[in-house]
Amino acid sequence: MVEAATDYTLPELMCVEGARLMPDTGVAVLGLGLPVLSGVLAKCMHHPELVICTEVGVFDWAPDVSRLARSSMGIHDLILNHGAAGVSDMVDVLGTALMGQNVDFGYLTGAQVDRFGNVNTLVMGDYRAPARRLAGTGGNTEIACLAPRIFVLMPQEPRRWVERVDFITSPGYIDGPGARLRAGLDPQGPNTIVSTMGVFGYDTTDGSDGSCELVLEAVFPGFDADIIASMIPWPLRLADTIREVAPPTIDELDLLRRLDPHMYYLTPGRY
Amino acid sequence: MSSKLMSLEDAVSRFVDDGDTIYAGYLCVPFALTHEIVRQGKKNLEVVGSSVVWPGTELVMAGACRRIRSGYMSGALRPGDFTSLMDSGELQYEDYSNQAIALMLMGGALGVPFVPTRTFLGTDYLSPALDDHPGSIPGYKRIHEMESPFDGEKVVLLPSIRPDVVIMHAQRADADGNIQMWGHMGDARWGLWAGRKVIVTGEEIVDREVVRSDPGRTVLHGFKVSAVVHWPYGAHPGGLAGYYDFDYAFIGRALAAGLNSFEGFAKFREEWIDGMRDSGTYIAKVRELIGDDAFEAIAIQEHVIPKVPVDYGYSRTLNLPLRQGEPPW
Repeated sequence: MVEAATDYTLPELMCVEGARLMPDTGVAVLGLGLPVLSGVLAKCMHHPELVICTEVGVFDWAPDVSRLARSSMGIHDLILNHGAAGVSDMVDVLGTALMGQNVDFGYLTGAQVDRFGNVNTLVMGDYRAPARRLAGTGGNTEIACLAPRIFVLMPQEPRRWVERVDFITSPGYIDGPGARLRAGLDPQGPNTIVSTMGVFGYDTTDGSDGSCELVLEAVFPGFDADIIASMIPWPLRLADTIREVAPPTIDELDLLRRLDPHMYYLTPGRY
Repeated sequence: MSSKLMSLEDAVSRFVDDGDTIYAGYLCVPFALTHEIVRQGKKNLEVVGSSVVWPGTELVMAGACRRIRSGYMSGALRPGDFTSLMDSGELQYEDYSNQAIALMLMGGALGVPFVPTRTFLGTDYLSPALDDHPGSIPGYKRIHEMESPFDGEKVVLLPSIRPDVVIMHAQRADADGNIQMWGHMGDARWGLWAGRKVIVTGEEIVDREVVRSDPGRTVLHGFKVSAVVHWPYGAHPGGLAGYYDFDYAFIGRALAAGLNSFEGFAKFREEWIDGMRDSGTYIAKVRELIGDDAFEAIAIQEHVIPKVPVDYGYSRTLNLPLRQGEPPW
């Protein structure tokens, strides 16, 4: 019996559950923010065969976890030169690797997500008179456009989960079945979103069939479908059976905290 | 080849002109060069780059930059003087993505007018709202969606960027202007090639034999480089693989406040830019501010050095062709 931790926070469980759900193999591009922390946890603990890359030119980072000082601080940390199978540049990662169809999935976050899994990283409100500007999309857009499968971390906050994002920087299923293909994008899926309360899939295999809407598949300990549905401004679809997410194990939580020693990612009160 | 070595002051005064479009190197953050541009009061610059972070923000706060094209502007993260300039249109800007800007620089480097990509399909970046916003660049065509004339697939065309000047900090350079860098490079490789004029500060200046004994590490060649300046800690508070890491203590205690408001910048400028005309004085003052422990914390403790030296060797003799004048292939 694996010992469960009790003193975890919900953002910590979000990162841990995201790490568990990564595939065992494949080439992943980790986007700026929490996906780096969670993706490194996945690589170091659950899925050692994963090939993790970041857009600044890092290919197949495989750190020595026994003496790793930290996860990468951002996507550009010099620590990424230590243990990478290759380092080069952005055109290689986001061009030849990603657009050239050599990447299996992307791992992203953002400011808002909507019913069809579209993500916004750029601006809150009207683009021409924004209520709030953000820094910009970085590589989020091409990862969402071009990776054949996407995982997203998105804290369960009403301001983030909206019927329609203010600006689609990073397309999910846009406005329903067939929309990706009509836009000129390839099929994508199965996609997954992990929030601070549950795990969501989609009612589609690849964007061509079903409703392409989010479907609640699992809840964190202490939450149920009603609570989560009440925080979402559209009628939330529920899976036939809803799984309960296991709390972090003591080992998972220890490593996660060791990877974020200064609480750069999981700053208390941030999510 | 005549030497490209010169002083920081000469390099900037000779090769940065008011109104230039400037690529301010991504990961090897060219802070010494940025500070010199501020000291010389350059005006009306445009900053381009995938992610325009601290140096770009500094040029805006200094009143040196009127326009940005990028995929990420850290200055826009917090509402304040920077975002007010965006809202009023005093700072012109166009939003792209990291891949887009990297490809636009590649297009500039290749000398072609545009580059196709499949990013932006299905996004609101294709919306006409982006053609007419307070910060729009007058008369500028940002993006164009079309079907490929070859197979009918949708593509997005992006205009190439040919920066007038590139500023970069590199691990080493020689007097001929050959630049060697290593580690992950963001969009720096294409940014360097795209520039019409290239100014580089080198952590070290090495003999040309050092460069030529390891040519695979050369990222830009002397014939493309206008000026080389020897400037240790030229990336500080940015990091440089193998030399020093990012100095988040300095960023937190000095730079962040300097980039958050005009008032903060005026103080930062007085203290860290205007009077700082050599690397030694600057870094001694940094050490005084953050303390010996924090200063030592940015030193490289984990060295990443090839386990086996590489050999670019060849044969002097060959098995030459039997009959002279007849090629063996």
